[in-house]
Amino acid sequence: MNEKDKTLSYLERLKQQAVNQENYGGEIKAEEAKMEVRDCPECGAGRAFHQGLTVCAYCGFKFMDIRLTDGLYIRKQNNS
Amino acid sequence: MSGVLEKIGQTQDKWFVFLDKLESRMHEICTAAVPEIREVFEQDRDPYKRAHGHLLMGLRGQINQMRSKANEVREEKIFQFIDGITSELPGHGFFTGSHDRLYTFRIACINRHNLFEEKIAFYMSLLNNAAGEQDLEAAYQEQLQAFEAIRDQFSCKQCAGQMTIPDLFFIATYVTCPFCQTQNTFIPSTGAQMVLHQARSLAEQRTAHLLKTYEESKPKNSLLYRQYLRSMFDEWNKIVPDMAEENEKFYQRLLQDHLNSINHY
Repeated sequence: MNEKDKTLSYLERLKQQAVNQENYGGEIKAEEAKMEVRDCPECGAGRAFHQGLTVCAYCGFKFMDIRLTDGLYIRKQNNS
Repeated sequence: MSGVLEKIGQTQDKWFVFLDKLESRMHEICTAAVPEIREVFEQDRDPYKRAHGHLLMGLRGQINQMRSKANEVREEKIFQFIDGITSELPGHGFFTGSHDRLYTFRIACINRHNLFEEKIAFYMSLLNNAAGEQDLEAAYQEQLQAFEAIRDQFSCKQCAGQMTIPDLFFIATYVTCPFCQTQNTFIPSTGAQMVLHQARSLAEQRTAHLLKTYEESKPKNSLLYRQYLRSMFDEWNKIVPDMAEENEKFYQRLLQDHLNSINHY
Protein backbone atom coordinates (compact mmCIF):
# COMPACT_ATOMS: atom_id res chain seq x y z
CA MET A 1 0.00 0.00 0.00
CA ASN A 2 1.51 3.34 -1.00
CA GLU A 3 1.55 6.46 1.21
CA LYS A 4 -1.47 8.04 -0.46
CA ASP A 5 -3.60 4.94 -0.04
CA LYS A 6 -2.47 4.67 3.59
CA THR A 7 -3.59 8.24 4.25
CA LEU A 8 -6.97 7.66 2.61
CA SER A 9 -7.52 4.45 4.51
CA TYR A 10 -6.53 6.16 7.78
CA LEU A 11 -8.93 9.02 7.08
CA GLU A 12 -11.72 6.63 6.17
CA ARG A 13 -11.28 4.78 9.49
CA LEU A 14 -11.17 8.03 11.43
CA LYS A 15 -14.30 9.24 9.66
CA GLN A 16 -16.19 6.03 10.37
CA GLN A 17 -15.21 6.19 14.04
CA ALA A 18 -16.31 9.83 14.26
CA VAL A 19 -19.66 9.15 12.59
CA ASN A 20 -20.40 5.93 14.52
CA GLN A 21 -19.36 7.20 17.93
CA GLU A 22 -22.36 7.30 20.23
CA ASN A 23 -23.03 10.76 21.60
CA TYR A 24 -23.31 11.33 25.30
CA GLY A 25 -27.00 11.52 26.17
CA GLY A 26 -27.97 9.78 22.91
CA GLU A 27 -29.46 11.27 19.81
CA ILE A 28 -31.10 14.67 20.15
CA LYS A 29 -34.66 14.70 18.84
CA ALA A 30 -36.00 18.00 17.55
CA GLU A 31 -39.02 18.91 19.66
CA GLU A 32 -41.64 21.63 19.37
CA ALA A 33 -42.22 24.19 22.11
CA LYS A 34 -44.67 23.00 24.75
CA MET A 35 -46.33 23.95 28.00
CA GLU A 36 -46.40 21.74 31.08
CA VAL A 37 -47.75 22.10 34.55
CA ARG A 38 -47.20 20.35 37.86
CA ASP A 39 -50.32 20.05 40.01
CA CYS A 40 -50.11 19.52 43.74
CA PRO A 41 -50.35 15.74 44.31
CA GLU A 42 -51.99 16.33 47.72
CA CYS A 43 -54.82 18.76 46.94
CA GLY A 44 -54.81 18.89 43.13
CA ALA A 45 -54.40 22.67 43.02
CA GLY A 46 -52.31 24.27 40.36
CA ARG A 47 -48.88 25.47 41.43
CA ALA A 48 -49.68 29.09 42.11
CA PHE A 49 -47.16 31.72 43.02
CA HIS A 50 -48.64 33.36 46.08
CA GLN A 51 -45.88 32.90 48.59
CA GLY A 52 -43.11 31.26 46.67
CA LEU A 53 -42.67 28.30 44.38
CA THR A 54 -41.36 25.60 46.66
CA VAL A 55 -44.53 24.92 48.66
CA CYS A 56 -48.18 24.49 47.56
CA ALA A 57 -49.96 27.79 48.20
CA TYR A 58 -53.12 25.97 49.29
CA CYS A 59 -52.20 22.91 51.37
CA GLY A 60 -48.50 23.40 52.20
CA PHE A 61 -47.23 20.37 50.23
CA LYS A 62 -43.50 20.71 49.55
CA PHE A 63 -42.86 20.70 45.80
CA MET A 64 -39.11 20.71 46.38
CA ASP A 65 -36.79 20.31 49.35
CA ILE A 66 -33.95 22.43 48.02
CA ARG A 67 -33.43 26.16 48.61
CA LEU A 68 -33.62 28.13 45.37
CA THR A 69 -30.74 30.44 44.54
CA ASP A 70 -30.50 33.25 42.02
CA GLY A 71 -30.56 32.10 38.41
CA LEU A 72 -31.70 33.49 35.10
CA TYR A 73 -35.42 33.41 35.77
CA ILE A 74 -35.60 32.04 39.29
CA ARG A 75 -34.58 34.18 42.25
CA LYS A 76 -33.96 33.27 45.86
CA GLN A 77 -37.05 35.33 46.70
CA ASN A 78 -39.05 32.54 45.02
CA ASN A 79 -38.54 30.28 48.03
CA SER A 80 -41.76 29.85 49.98
CA MET B 1 37.95 19.74 14.65
CA SER B 2 36.78 18.62 11.20
CA GLY B 3 35.04 15.68 12.92
CA VAL B 4 33.01 18.11 15.02
CA LEU B 5 32.08 20.21 11.99
CA GLU B 6 31.05 17.10 10.11
CA LYS B 7 28.85 15.93 13.01
CA ILE B 8 27.22 19.36 13.19
CA GLY B 9 26.50 19.30 9.46
CA GLN B 10 25.06 15.79 9.58
CA THR B 11 22.84 16.57 12.58
CA GLN B 12 21.49 19.68 10.90
CA ASP B 13 20.74 17.78 7.69
CA LYS B 14 18.97 15.02 9.61
CA TRP B 15 16.88 17.56 11.56
CA PHE B 16 15.85 19.35 8.36
CA VAL B 17 14.97 16.12 6.57
CA PHE B 18 13.03 14.91 9.62
CA LEU B 19 10.92 18.10 9.73
CA ASP B 20 10.47 17.98 5.93
CA LYS B 21 9.01 14.49 6.28
CA LEU B 22 6.68 15.52 9.09
CA GLU B 23 5.51 18.53 7.07
CA SER B 24 4.91 16.46 3.99
CA ARG B 25 2.86 13.95 6.02
CA MET B 26 0.93 16.82 7.60
CA HIS B 27 0.20 18.32 4.18
CA GLU B 28 -0.94 14.96 2.84
CA ILE B 29 -3.31 14.24 5.75
CA CYS B 30 -4.76 17.74 5.99
CA THR B 31 -5.39 18.33 2.29
CA ALA B 32 -7.05 14.92 2.00
CA ALA B 33 -9.07 15.60 5.17
CA VAL B 34 -10.63 18.90 4.08
CA PRO B 35 -13.33 17.40 1.79
CA GLU B 36 -14.01 14.66 4.35
CA ILE B 37 -14.54 17.21 7.13
CA ARG B 38 -16.93 19.17 4.94
CA GLU B 39 -18.88 16.03 4.05
CA VAL B 40 -19.19 14.90 7.68
CA PHE B 41 -20.26 18.39 8.74
CA GLU B 42 -22.95 18.58 6.07
CA GLN B 43 -24.28 15.10 6.81
CA ASP B 44 -24.17 15.47 10.59
CA ARG B 45 -27.79 15.77 11.81
CA ASP B 46 -26.74 16.40 15.40
CA PRO B 47 -27.44 20.06 16.32
CA TYR B 48 -24.09 20.26 18.09
CA LYS B 49 -22.30 18.73 15.07
CA ARG B 50 -20.55 16.25 17.30
CA ALA B 51 -19.50 13.78 14.58
CA HIS B 52 -17.72 16.70 12.92
CA GLY B 53 -16.19 17.57 16.30
CA HIS B 54 -14.93 14.01 16.81
CA LEU B 55 -13.34 13.94 13.37
CA LEU B 56 -11.69 17.29 13.95
CA MET B 57 -10.38 16.18 17.33
CA GLY B 58 -8.85 13.06 15.78
CA LEU B 59 -7.07 15.09 13.13
CA ARG B 60 -5.86 17.71 15.60
CA GLY B 61 -4.56 14.85 17.70
CA GLN B 62 -2.51 13.65 14.73
CA ILE B 63 -0.95 17.08 14.26
CA ASN B 64 -0.28 17.42 17.96
CA GLN B 65 1.48 14.07 17.92
CA MET B 66 3.76 15.39 15.17
CA ARG B 67 4.40 18.49 17.25
CA SER B 68 5.30 16.39 20.31
CA LYS B 69 7.56 14.16 18.22
CA ALA B 70 9.38 17.22 16.83
CA ASN B 71 9.79 18.70 20.32
CA GLU B 72 11.12 15.41 21.62
CA VAL B 73 13.67 15.09 18.80
CA ARG B 74 14.68 18.74 19.20
CA GLU B 75 15.46 18.15 22.89
CA GLU B 76 17.23 14.83 22.39
CA LYS B 77 19.04 15.27 19.10
CA ILE B 78 19.65 19.01 18.89
CA PHE B 79 19.89 20.59 22.33
CA GLN B 80 21.56 17.60 23.98
CA PHE B 81 23.92 17.36 21.02
CA ILE B 82 24.80 21.07 21.42
CA ASP B 83 25.44 20.55 25.15
CA GLY B 84 27.65 17.55 24.41
CA ILE B 85 29.72 19.34 21.78
CA THR B 86 30.01 22.51 23.91
CA SER B 87 31.51 20.51 26.77
CA GLU B 88 34.16 19.12 24.40
CA LEU B 89 35.20 22.56 23.11
CA PRO B 90 37.67 24.86 24.95
CA GLY B 91 35.99 27.11 27.56
CA HIS B 92 35.17 30.82 27.43
CA GLY B 93 37.84 33.06 26.09
CA PHE B 94 38.89 30.45 23.53
CA PHE B 95 36.38 31.03 20.79
CA THR B 96 37.10 29.00 17.73
CA GLY B 97 35.50 28.37 14.37
CA SER B 98 33.63 25.48 16.02
CA HIS B 99 31.92 27.88 18.42
CA ASP B 100 30.75 30.00 15.50
CA ARG B 101 29.59 26.97 13.60
CA LEU B 102 27.77 25.64 16.65
CA TYR B 103 26.04 28.98 17.15
CA THR B 104 24.98 29.13 13.49
CA PHE B 105 23.80 25.51 13.73
CA ARG B 106 21.71 26.26 16.82
CA ILE B 107 20.02 29.27 15.22
CA ALA B 108 19.39 27.40 11.95
CA CYS B 109 17.77 24.50 13.80
CA ILE B 110 15.58 26.78 15.89
CA ASN B 111 14.53 28.80 12.84
CA ARG B 112 13.65 25.62 10.98
CA HIS B 113 11.57 24.51 13.94
CA ASN B 114 9.78 27.87 14.00
CA LEU B 115 8.85 27.36 10.36
CA PHE B 116 7.50 23.94 11.28
CA GLU B 117 5.36 25.53 14.01
CA GLU B 118 4.03 28.05 11.49
CA LYS B 119 3.03 25.16 9.23
CA ILE B 120 1.22 23.56 12.15
CA ALA B 121 -0.71 26.79 12.78
CA PHE B 122 -1.58 26.96 9.08
CA TYR B 123 -2.86 23.39 8.89
CA MET B 124 -4.73 23.64 12.18
CA SER B 125 -6.55 26.67 10.84
CA LEU B 126 -7.18 24.85 7.53
CA LEU B 127 -8.84 21.99 9.43
CA ASN B 128 -10.81 24.29 11.73
CA ASN B 129 -12.21 26.26 8.80
CA ALA B 130 -12.71 23.30 6.45
CA ALA B 131 -16.42 22.97 7.14
CA GLY B 132 -17.07 26.57 6.17
CA GLU B 133 -19.30 28.93 8.05
CA GLN B 134 -22.86 28.07 9.02
CA ASP B 135 -25.46 30.70 8.24
CA LEU B 136 -26.35 31.32 11.87
CA GLU B 137 -28.19 34.56 11.06
CA ALA B 138 -30.72 32.73 8.89
CA ALA B 139 -31.26 30.08 11.57
CA TYR B 140 -31.77 32.80 14.20
CA GLN B 141 -34.26 34.75 12.06
CA GLU B 142 -36.13 31.52 11.43
CA GLN B 143 -36.45 30.95 15.18
CA LEU B 144 -37.66 34.52 15.73
CA GLN B 145 -40.39 34.03 13.12
CA ALA B 146 -41.31 30.62 14.53
CA PHE B 147 -41.65 32.14 18.00
CA GLU B 148 -43.85 34.99 16.77
CA ALA B 149 -46.10 32.40 15.13
CA ILE B 150 -46.58 30.33 18.30
CA ARG B 151 -46.32 32.80 21.20
CA ASP B 152 -50.10 33.25 21.52
CA GLN B 153 -51.04 29.65 20.91
CA PHE B 154 -50.59 28.26 24.41
CA SER B 155 -53.19 27.77 27.06
CA CYS B 156 -52.92 27.21 30.79
CA LYS B 157 -52.82 23.51 31.61
CA GLN B 158 -54.83 24.17 34.76
CA CYS B 159 -57.67 26.46 33.63
CA ALA B 160 -57.23 26.48 29.84
CA GLY B 161 -57.00 30.29 29.81
CA GLN B 162 -55.10 31.73 26.88
CA MET B 163 -51.49 32.61 27.61
CA THR B 164 -48.97 34.71 25.78
CA ILE B 165 -45.29 33.93 26.11
CA PRO B 166 -43.75 37.31 26.97
CA ASP B 167 -40.26 36.77 25.51
CA LEU B 168 -38.32 34.34 23.40
CA PHE B 169 -37.01 32.05 26.14
CA PHE B 170 -34.15 29.67 25.44
CA ILE B 171 -34.50 27.49 28.52
CA ALA B 172 -37.51 26.06 30.38
CA THR B 173 -39.21 28.91 32.21
CA TYR B 174 -42.17 29.43 34.51
CA VAL B 175 -44.95 31.44 32.91
CA THR B 176 -47.77 32.55 35.18
CA CYS B 177 -51.35 32.12 34.00
CA PRO B 178 -53.01 35.57 34.18
CA PHE B 179 -56.35 33.96 35.17
CA CYS B 180 -55.57 31.32 37.81
CA GLN B 181 -51.96 32.27 38.66
CA THR B 182 -50.76 28.71 38.05
CA GLN B 183 -47.08 28.42 37.23
CA ASN B 184 -46.96 26.73 33.86
CA THR B 185 -43.60 25.60 32.59
CA PHE B 186 -42.84 26.74 29.06
CA ILE B 187 -40.31 24.49 27.33
CA PRO B 188 -38.89 26.11 24.18
CA SER B 189 -38.43 24.14 20.99
CA THR B 190 -35.08 22.45 20.30
CA GLY B 191 -34.39 25.11 17.66
CA ALA B 192 -34.96 27.95 20.13
CA GLN B 193 -32.74 26.22 22.70
CA MET B 194 -29.99 26.10 20.09
CA VAL B 195 -30.10 29.92 19.76
CA LEU B 196 -28.59 30.17 23.25
CA HIS B 197 -25.87 27.74 22.24
CA GLN B 198 -25.10 29.57 18.99
CA ALA B 199 -25.51 33.13 20.29
CA ARG B 200 -21.82 33.89 20.75
CA SER B 201 -20.89 32.40 17.37
CA LEU B 202 -23.61 34.47 15.71
CA ALA B 203 -22.36 37.63 17.44
CA GLU B 204 -18.84 36.77 16.26
CA GLN B 205 -20.11 36.32 12.71
CA ARG B 206 -21.81 39.70 12.83
CA THR B 207 -18.62 41.42 14.03
CA ALA B 208 -16.04 39.37 12.12
CA HIS B 209 -15.12 42.42 10.00
CA LEU B 210 -14.02 44.28 13.14
CA LEU B 211 -11.84 41.39 14.29
CA LYS B 212 -10.30 41.24 10.82
CA THR B 213 -9.49 44.96 10.96
CA TYR B 214 -7.74 44.42 14.30
CA GLU B 215 -5.83 41.37 13.07
CA GLU B 216 -4.63 43.22 9.99
CA SER B 217 -3.33 46.18 12.01
CA LYS B 218 0.45 46.28 12.40
CA PRO B 219 1.48 46.65 15.14
CA LYS B 220 -1.68 45.21 16.64
CA ASN B 221 -3.93 48.05 17.73
CA SER B 222 -5.47 47.34 21.14
CA LEU B 223 -8.12 49.99 20.60
CA LEU B 224 -9.42 48.11 17.56
CA TYR B 225 -9.58 44.92 19.61
CA ARG B 226 -11.53 46.71 22.31
CA GLN B 227 -13.96 48.03 19.66
CA TYR B 228 -14.42 44.53 18.27
CA LEU B 229 -14.93 42.97 21.69
CA ARG B 230 -17.46 45.60 22.78
CA SER B 231 -19.44 45.25 19.55
CA MET B 232 -19.34 41.48 19.77
CA PHE B 233 -20.69 41.50 23.31
CA ASP B 234 -23.33 44.11 22.40
CA GLU B 235 -24.54 41.84 19.60
CA TRP B 236 -24.45 38.84 21.94
CA ASN B 237 -26.55 40.74 24.49
CA LYS B 238 -29.04 41.73 21.80
CA ILE B 239 -29.56 38.05 21.00
CA VAL B 240 -29.67 36.87 24.61
CA PRO B 241 -30.57 39.96 26.70
CA ASP B 242 -31.10 37.89 29.85
CA MET B 243 -27.40 37.02 29.94
CA ALA B 244 -26.20 40.64 29.72
CA GLU B 245 -25.10 40.85 33.35
CA GLU B 246 -23.09 37.62 33.20
CA ASN B 247 -21.68 38.52 29.79
CA GLU B 248 -20.43 41.87 31.09
CA LYS B 249 -18.17 40.08 33.60
CA PHE B 250 -16.91 37.85 30.81
CA TYR B 251 -16.25 40.91 28.63
CA GLN B 252 -14.18 42.52 31.38
CA ARG B 253 -12.17 39.33 31.80
CA LEU B 254 -11.45 38.92 28.09
CA LEU B 255 -10.43 42.56 27.88
CA GLN B 256 -8.06 42.20 30.82
CA ASP B 257 -6.63 39.00 29.34
CA HIS B 258 -5.94 40.88 26.13
CA LEU B 259 -4.35 43.86 27.87
CA ASN B 260 -2.18 41.54 29.96
CA SER B 261 -1.04 39.47 26.98
CA ILE B 262 2.28 40.24 25.38
CA ASN B 263 1.48 39.30 21.78
CA HIS B 264 0.73 42.73 20.39
CA TYR B 265 3.30 42.67 17.61
